[in-house]
Amino acid sequence: MPELFRDYLPVVIFMAVAGAIALALMASAIIIAVRKPDPEKLSAYECGFKAFDDARMKFDVRFYLVSILFIIFDLEVAFLFPWAVSLGEIGIYGFWSMMIFLVVLTIGFIYEWRKGALEWD
Amino acid sequence: MYQLIVFLPLIGAIIAGLLGTQAFRMMGSTVDSHGHDDAHAGHAHAHDDHGHDDHAHHAYPTPWAAYLTSGLLVISAILSWVAFWQYMHEAEPMKVEVLRWVNSGALNANWAFRIDTLTAVMLVVVNTVSSLVHIYSIGYMSHDPHQPRFFAYLSLFTFAMLMLVTSDNLLQMFFGWEGVGLASYLLIGFWYHKPSANAAAIKAFIVNRVGDFGFLLGIAAVFLIFGSIEFDTIFSSAAEQVGKTMTFLSWQFDVLTAICLLLFMGAMGKSAQFLLHTWLPDAMEGPTPVSALIHAATMVTAGVFLVARMSPLYELAPHARDVVIVVGAITAFFAATVGLVQNDIKRVIAYSTCSQLGYMFVAMGVGAYGVGMFHLFTHAFFKALLFLGSGSVIHAMSNEQDIRKMGGLAPHIRVTWAMMLIGTLSLTGFPYTAGYFSKDAIIEGAFTSHAAAAGFAFVLLVVAAFCTSFYSWRLMFLTFHGKSRATSEVMSHVHESPQVMMAPLYILAAGALLAGIVFAPYFIGHDEVHFWAQGIFRGPENKIIEEMHHVPAWVKWSPFVAMVLGFALAYQFYIRRTDIPGKLAEQHWPLYQFLLNKWYFDELYDFIFVNPAKWLGRFLWKRGDGWLIDGFGPDGVSARVVDVTQRVVKLQSGYLFHYAFAMLIGVAALVTWFMFGSAH
Amino acid sequence: MMSLLDHIQGTAALPEIFLVVAAMALLMFGVFREKSADIVNIAAIVVLGIAVAMVIWGGEGRQEAFGGSLVIDTFARFMKVLTLFGSAVAIVLSVNFMKTEKIERFEYPILVLLATAGMMIMISANDLVALYMGLELQSLALYVVAAIDRDKAKSSEAGLKYFVLGALSSGMLLYGASLIYGFTGHVAFPEIARALAAGEPGLGLIFGLVFLIAGLAFKVSAVPFHMWTPDVYEGAPTPVAAFFAAAPKIAAMALFVRAMLAPFSGVLPDWQQILVFISIASMVLGAFAAIGQTNIKRLVAYSSIGHMGYALIGLAAGSPEGVRSVVIYMTIYLIMTLGTFACILAMRRKDGQVETISDLAGLARTNGLHAFFLAVFMFSLAGIPPLAGFFAKYFIFMAAIKANLVTLAVIGVLASVVGAVYYIRIVKLMYFDEPAERFEPMVTEVKAVVVLAGLFVLLFALFPQPLNSLAEAAAASLF
Repeated sequence: MPELFRDYLPVVIFMAVAGAIALALMASAIIIAVRKPDPEKLSAYECGFKAFDDARMKFDVRFYLVSILFIIFDLEVAFLFPWAVSLGEIGIYGFWSMMIFLVVLTIGFIYEWRKGALEWD
Repeated sequence: MYQLIVFLPLIGAIIAGLLGTQAFRMMGSTVDSHGHDDAHAGHAHAHDDHGHDDHAHHAYPTPWAAYLTSGLLVISAILSWVAFWQYMHEAEPMKVEVLRWVNSGALNANWAFRIDTLTAVMLVVVNTVSSLVHIYSIGYMSHDPHQPRFFAYLSLFTFAMLMLVTSDNLLQMFFGWEGVGLASYLLIGFWYHKPSANAAAIKAFIVNRVGDFGFLLGIAAVFLIFGSIEFDTIFSSAAEQVGKTMTFLSWQFDVLTAICLLLFMGAMGKSAQFLLHTWLPDAMEGPTPVSALIHAATMVTAGVFLVARMSPLYELAPHARDVVIVVGAITAFFAATVGLVQNDIKRVIAYSTCSQLGYMFVAMGVGAYGVGMFHLFTHAFFKALLFLGSGSVIHAMSNEQDIRKMGGLAPHIRVTWAMMLIGTLSLTGFPYTAGYFSKDAIIEGAFTSHAAAAGFAFVLLVVAAFCTSFYSWRLMFLTFHGKSRATSEVMSHVHESPQVMMAPLYILAAGALLAGIVFAPYFIGHDEVHFWAQGIFRGPENKIIEEMHHVPAWVKWSPFVAMVLGFALAYQFYIRRTDIPGKLAEQHWPLYQFLLNKWYFDELYDFIFVNPAKWLGRFLWKRGDGWLIDGFGPDGVSARVVDVTQRVVKLQSGYLFHYAFAMLIGVAALVTWFMFGSAH
Repeated sequence: MMSLLDHIQGTAALPEIFLVVAAMALLMFGVFREKSADIVNIAAIVVLGIAVAMVIWGGEGRQEAFGGSLVIDTFARFMKVLTLFGSAVAIVLSVNFMKTEKIERFEYPILVLLATAGMMIMISANDLVALYMGLELQSLALYVVAAIDRDKAKSSEAGLKYFVLGALSSGMLLYGASLIYGFTGHVAFPEIARALAAGEPGLGLIFGLVFLIAGLAFKVSAVPFHMWTPDVYEGAPTPVAAFFAAAPKIAAMALFVRAMLAPFSGVLPDWQQILVFISIASMVLGAFAAIGQTNIKRLVAYSSIGHMGYALIGLAAGSPEGVRSVVIYMTIYLIMTLGTFACILAMRRKDGQVETISDLAGLARTNGLHAFFLAVFMFSLAGIPPLAGFFAKYFIFMAAIKANLVTLAVIGVLASVVGAVYYIRIVKLMYFDEPAERFEPMVTEVKAVVVLAGLFVLLFALFPQPLNSLAEAAAASLF
């Protein structure tokens, strides 16, 4: 068992460091930040959320839809970068793998488009 | 021919039983708009014993089931007489194979008819009485809505009885034995809506179980000792077993004595002998023709037949025969004394039957098998006559059975009176009637015998003969003579029964008068050695039949004197000085009660057997079954299941976090198990 | 194209690839054409049929795809055919229902196709990654399918519950898979088996195994990971529940069998303990909880929990006989369940679908055929001879006894006695109670499913041999 724990020691250290940094950032913001509210700062965001309000409020589900759809393509890009970099090494197999992935994604995109998921009204 | 004799009644029973009810109901529904069940329940009492004339306007459908079964029985009876005729004039004993029945290891029992004189006599008795009873019942049961069932039962009984008397091995006999028991149960409880009839049927069945248990043990013992249950094998090797003993639970038993006693136990049950007699009087709850057929003429004589059939064994077991004598004599005496004070016309005759069966067993016990069989033969006639006659009386009296409420009937129903008179004369042994020959022969035989208990038996039998005479005449006088004690309304209805009921009485009366004179030479007279040569075995030293013809004169006269005394006393009590019986009963109140309550046997058995058994039953029912088995068994389990179910269903709360929690608990439990519980 | 497939070693996985491509093609077709649901339904059934043909005639013996990630053997082929069959019947049953309930969507058959593709990957999965991928592909489609009637609160609730709990179970499964990977250094099943054979398994591996089993048990809805089942069955539209009860159970059980036997046959005593526990818990809970139900879909849900318990007995035996009995059990279960759900689907009055048990009262007098076949299914589910359900249980118990799991077999028999109560109660209700209002006549395809399944259940006793030998061959390919 000690073996096992020693293996996970870096994880513990990592968690501790993460906690420390988070605390430090929040504390520093409270301590040194300049607070000068003006009407622009207090007005609602583009997404319709008010800047200072209860977080658990009703909002338009279309925000979620858009953000979820965004994430998919965000991930696609995240995949594309390493693929592009290593394309020379993974060869034709790697190329076609990504092509198939892109085709699948595109089909999904066409579907959501046709379904009107991208239209705001 | 023999197949016909045996199977015709069965065919009748099957047809009447399976088709009768249906067809009857169909016809009934068109003809009789009354619902049968309603009519039945409403007139529950009227059917006890047989509906009266107020039913006459009901248009009952043609009783074809009755005609069919009766017709088949009549054919059977005629064939039986033919067979009997052959055996009267020497015919060889024979076997009629029917089919292979049981072949299991060493146990072989084929279904075969063993036909010899003994069988022929029984065939005649059974089929004659049965056919007459069938015919009588056409009239007697004419108003009963369940007539086909009745006739099916009667025929079924007849078939079973024929199986019994034609049996070639003990298993087959046991089949018939139980068959008649079943039919008896069904017929006693024929009016099953009457609680008393049900109780009587159950009582008959259970008391017979006691005897049958002995019988079954006897069969098992026979198989153990002889390795076979075929009569031929048993009889041929019986002599080898004399003096041999067997060990049971470290007791030594003489083999033959033990077997004979066990078989006799069965006979005691079926023939209502002392200690196992209690069911017979109660069996009178059945319809009167049933009493005549089953509980007087045939089934109850099965025990006597059994002893006669097994005579090769009994001859070699003198100690067992002593027991037979003692039991028979006590029964004869006991039943006769009880008969003295009974008030129900059928019960008086029932006790008389019981008593006469005792006579037969005494005859068996002293070795005079032929004499016993002869009494069986004559008794069938006059006892059936008495029963059917009393049925006629009851019919006339609008179902009244209490002789205290009768009286003075003779002028109204002359023919019935005459028939009853003939029966009574024969029963009491009036010279040259049937009973005279057979009964007196038994008494002489008892005197002649050298058996240890013979003297005892002789005295008891003579006393019983006196009692028989007394109660028989008491019955006659109370019923037919003196002043009428019935209501005038009943008296106004008194009428003779229809001819279909009277005809059997004539035939039986003829038998009761003439059977003695005609057949005595064959059964007990000079032809008897020849006659019984094949049916009955007697040891070389058994010369009782010859010796009993040479008894002193006073012995010959004693039953006659007893009879005359009984008649005189009855005449004194019930015709001349009708106040005496009442006073006598008051003076000897304990004795009177003792007799009236049949020696308190029912109470004794209630105390010793019935109540403990009921207590045990109640205990097992309430505590054992209701509390223990139901509580922890079905009911308990189902209650627990419902409990568990309710709890489990509560677990399913519908909350997502409960579900997730359950999953985590499950994983945690499994992990914990592997960390601490298992071998790791 | 074929050369590309060869290149990625995907030839053996052609049915799966075909399914996915067809699903995407149908998606495009559906989305560009108005009112396409009918055509897509039929097309989906055709696609499933072609996939069956491809599975059956796709080759003999053991084949591998994608570098050994997928394995196609007799066991996989048999279970895939069952799964495809179950999915096809589910679509058949859904057509009329969706129309009358006005929730007709072309996405439904496509989702079923995608889920089925996931199931086929599950059945063939030969490493932990393929296992997870198949499972997720199936699950994601099923989450949506459960909530297909999204305007009804119950259906949405069912989808949401299934999603959240499914995510939890996926997490557990992933956690278990990563522990196993951590302690053996491999994800491929043969490699894991080799690593286990090399040395004593550590407690960490057993932990991983526990979590893996937890995730799989969730998919077959075994106690205590079953809680979603009644709610989802009740909430989801009836044909969806029929689908849930049929094909995914087959796939999950097949995956369970392979994931236990292929890599972990070396630690059989360990996972046997877990399986014994969850199978007893499932049988007992399934039997007891079903008694208290008034909704017939909930009742069938508990019944399926119990049945999974029985099937797990066969797996717990860990022997070829055990696997054979599982295969037979799942086959018969599939057909009984589809038949039962078809009967439930036919519980329709003028004013709509009903699903309480008391609605069945006196059915024998209003619709004899319906009542008769439902009674046949109930008796068969209860395991009463000579119906197919009896033989299913019989083989399971025999396998358990041969594997010295006598206690388990005895508990199984006792649980089936308790379980018989609620099955027979339905029969009693149908045959001896006063009739409730009459149902609408059955639609043709539902009637066809009822009669065919009923005949199979009735006549299985006469022709058990084909299934028996198929199951035997399937089981043999795993050992």
